[in-house]
Amino acid sequence: MSEVLFGSFRSPYMQRALAQVLLLALLGGVVGVHVVLRRLAFVTEALQHTVFPGIAVAFLLGRDLLLGAVVAAVVTVLLLVALSRARRIGQDGALALLTATAFAAGVVMVSRGRSYQHDLTVLLFGRILTVDGRQLVETGVLAVVCTIVLLALHKELVLLAFDEVAAAALGYRAAVVEIALNVVLALVVVAAIRSVGTVLVVAFVVTPAAAALLVARSPAQAMVLAVGFAAVSGWIGLVVSFDLSVRRGVDLASGATIVVVMTGGFLAVLGGTSIYRSTVRRRPGRTSRVDRAEASAA
Amino acid sequence: MMRPLLDSLGEPFFQRALIEAVLVGAMSGAVGIHVLLRRLPFFVVAMSHATFPGVVIASMAGVSLFAGGSAFAVVVVLLLIALGRQQSIDDTSLVGVILAGSFAVGILLQSARSGGSTELSAFLVGSILTVSAGDIASTAATAAAVLLYLAGTHKELVFTAFDPDGARAAGYRLRLVDAGILSAVAVALVGTIPAVGTLLAVALLTVPALTARLWVERIGPALVLAAGLGAVAGVFGLCASAVLDIASGGAIALAAAALFGLSFVVTSLGRRKPEVALG
Repeated sequence: MSEVLFGSFRSPYMQRALAQVLLLALLGGVVGVHVVLRRLAFVTEALQHTVFPGIAVAFLLGRDLLLGAVVAAVVTVLLLVALSRARRIGQDGALALLTATAFAAGVVMVSRGRSYQHDLTVLLFGRILTVDGRQLVETGVLAVVCTIVLLALHKELVLLAFDEVAAAALGYRAAVVEIALNVVLALVVVAAIRSVGTVLVVAFVVTPAAAALLVARSPAQAMVLAVGFAAVSGWIGLVVSFDLSVRRGVDLASGATIVVVMTGGFLAVLGGTSIYRSTVRRRPGRTSRVDRAEASAA
Repeated sequence: MMRPLLDSLGEPFFQRALIEAVLVGAMSGAVGIHVLLRRLPFFVVAMSHATFPGVVIASMAGVSLFAGGSAFAVVVVLLLIALGRQQSIDDTSLVGVILAGSFAVGILLQSARSGGSTELSAFLVGSILTVSAGDIASTAATAAAVLLYLAGTHKELVFTAFDPDGARAAGYRLRLVDAGILSAVAVALVGTIPAVGTLLAVALLTVPALTARLWVERIGPALVLAAGLGAVAGVFGLCASAVLDIASGGAIALAAAALFGLSFVVTSLGRRKPEVALG
């Protein structure tokens, strides 16, 4: 058993991949709970596509990919705020517009390069097994900064998510907190995108948190559960893809394997909770806070 | 500058691509108005990712990719509807989870077989320059069916989008109308895959419609305008890709975005009276 669980991680590149996955689990789990509470899944999806041209430009210019990604993410957040306010467009429309346009721009830029197919595949699907020491340090720094910001703003974020009117009455500035959350989300996408690719980042953010919120009684509890869920899924996913690729000769993309494990875990939790709810009679005191918030919102 | 364009225009493959671009642009532009009315953009993004495993399976099994993509799209819609019944999770997060999960299944299947990177990127970002006469025929049939459906049920679609309660009271069957429009969106989406690929289909299904709504308020005229804008974006993008030697799918999406940007600036400058937001 221990051979199966730990044997895959003898080589340094697998250790680095595991470290990267665990850092992303921490990042994604913590920010993901806020994303799910506020229904920002579409924003996450849009960000992961809009960061793509930033990376593509940096890639073509031979500059640091992280820099390109950060610039693209900041531009996205600003454009999103500006476009969402325009009448007749709305947030949905603005997100769709930005997602499609940015992704198209990325594809067009990559298509000018010489090794189009190869580059496109790397940018789309990421390379978790080629994470180097520097990337790990960068992810680690991002993880620390984002976690500190979210913990510092925890009370404000939760209050705003559940009761915006009360928060405004108490004098909290919704816009500032909102922008802080969006910037943190953008940084998380940036941190994850090089290792899991531009189309799977949303899973690292949304899936663990969605699964955790099905069972958690408070946002803080949900964060702990989400981080644990993501870490375990990441571990299993890496082991499975390594085992099948190296020992059985079936190549499995590691990022995608992790996401499939996560999705399977989510469906299992969803099934489990709905069975539990249909068999156990619900007592008022045992509903989760999230349930009550949704009931009052409905 | 104009030379490569003129050369390209003489080529049969480029002429086929132009016809395909016009058909796809018109179909998705028109459907896009309903996508916006019903706030379905995220659904479209989700579907565009969710069709991917179906396309990979179809290509492995050697059957029609169109059929594979459509079949998988139906499976995902049913899954979303079934899971959406659980009140414990909101739709947006559920769509996010299913979207990424099914896309990962597609990548996994694709990575398990050797090679096929060219074919893969053709599905993801389109390869309109390789469409055959058969592809055009099937796109034309799809576009005709979708546009006829939209024209035939226009009143019901608009009524149920704006006032579901009123429509139910008036005796319309909402489930039927919803299923109809969702299927139309899914069919239009799969129909655009040869031209711009799964990941860029969302551009044609939303951007021309957003642009049209900047100019006109009424749904009917907006629909016609969106169809026209979609076709124009297809032609412009294709010509730009020939002149600049860039990926055609991306160029078409960028052309649609450029039309939006232009319209946004012009309508913002030219607005005099306050208008009522639509949808």
